[in-house]
Amino acid sequence: MSNPVHWEGFEHPAARIATEVAGGATGWHGTLLHIHIAEAASFEMEELTEANLVAGRGIEGDRYFLGTGTYSPKPDVREVTLIEQEALDALSRNDPPLQGGPLTLTPEQHRRNLTVRGVPLNHLVGRRFQVGEVILRGGRLNFPCKYLEELLGMAVYLPLYNRSGLNCSIERGGIIRPGDAIRPL
Amino acid sequence: MTARIIQKLRVVGVEDSTPEVRVYTLEHPRKPLLPAWAAGAHVDVRVADAKVRQYSLCGEPGVQKRWQIAVKREAAGRGGSAWMHETLALGGEAMVSAPRNNFPLAPATRHVLVAGGIGVTPLLAMARTLAAEGADFTLHFCARSAALAPLLAELRAVCGPRLVTWFADEGRRFDAALIGPPAPGTHLYACGPQRLTDAVRAAAEAAGWAEPQQHYEVFQPTLDENFKPEPFELKLASTGEVLLVPADRSALEVLRERGFALPSSCELGVCGSCVCGYSEGVVIHRDSVLPVAARQDRMTLCVSRARVAVTVAL
Repeated sequence: MSNPVHWEGFEHPAARIATEVAGGATGWHGTLLHIHIAEAASFEMEELTEANLVAGRGIEGDRYFLGTGTYSPKPDVREVTLIEQEALDALSRNDPPLQGGPLTLTPEQHRRNLTVRGVPLNHLVGRRFQVGEVILRGGRLNFPCKYLEELLGMAVYLPLYNRSGLNCSIERGGIIRPGDAIRPL
Repeated sequence: MTARIIQKLRVVGVEDSTPEVRVYTLEHPRKPLLPAWAAGAHVDVRVADAKVRQYSLCGEPGVQKRWQIAVKREAAGRGGSAWMHETLALGGEAMVSAPRNNFPLAPATRHVLVAGGIGVTPLLAMARTLAAEGADFTLHFCARSAALAPLLAELRAVCGPRLVTWFADEGRRFDAALIGPPAPGTHLYACGPQRLTDAVRAAAEAAGWAEPQQHYEVFQPTLDENFKPEPFELKLASTGEVLLVPADRSALEVLRERGFALPSSCELGVCGSCVCGYSEGVVIHRDSVLPVAARQDRMTLCVSRARVAVTVAL
């Protein structure tokens, strides 16, 4: 087990560039649907009814907070990861038809921490936004990994390409719960 | 080379099948059903110090509410079974992986199963499946005595007259030559101490059984006291980087040190977690998991080595 090293979101090259240019999405209003954590690599994700987010560290009890994650030895932005429910809905409609058929990827299976609706994650690299009382910084787009395919025994790599979510750092910590509002800052 | 989900399961049953063998029944604390499995599958159970041990599932195959594993306390073992007997109690929590199957039933018209002692666990699951399908099978079960034969009552109930017991204290000793010559559509499965599986393999080969008709599972390292490891070079296919594997270290260890987060489990060459593709090299296969056909382009990083150099698909 190594000490977790997290990059502050805007230290990531992708975010740094984005912070210097106009853009991002405004005027949206989203909702936090689910919170999931796992205590170590490969462990089943567990759903929480509330979570304590610690600035600079992650979600209390999660593998990337504890330094027990698959990618923990590699410094990066991954205090908290988000994915859009809309992307999961699209997989279940086989949209676009990149694989054999519809794929059911439940919020427990995708291994991102927060499942959200109405949040344009791909536009939030280099942007700040608020989840309940917590402030997050979008660091880089998440990227699907072969490890997830193995773990699930499901070909999700291609279907999740470009909609695998957002890796964030925590600027201001606090308690979040499903149902919390998410809004741009 | 498959990563598998680890579940925190609850121990809902603990029963001594023999003075040495304890049967644990496990279920998910929140989910009504556990992942599907087929006869011959095993799971990894985490024991002390983040180590894992493999146990075959021996209950009813399929999608079930509960799993069962039988654990023999091995006084001379590596400590995993003793830890389980001492620590895992009713109501406790066990960290158990999703199942993996290196020992599946083959499509066949007849199945001959040979079990030695605790090696009966995957074969009991096979017998359950075969009995449910009305398939033609015989299960030979070798043990020191009926009292020390694990899961005997279950086997009798499942197999009926298809169970043939070989208990040493009754003067009945299994002769591997009994398996006889191969017949078309007949498959042979053996699991137990290495001396038993070696004897079955030797008898099968002498009688002319084809390799694909024989299936073995041994949860202990391949014994080869005369093997003298030599250093070799490991070339990474993706970057061309060359790593030296010293004589006293494994390819798995060297790759991990280089930063590869590789899955592994038994680190004895039996579970197949760390199997990796290779090319351009002569591999000294020392595992007991890969079938001969797979050895041309796959190697088990925890125990297998190479002559001089090999390129791995990493």
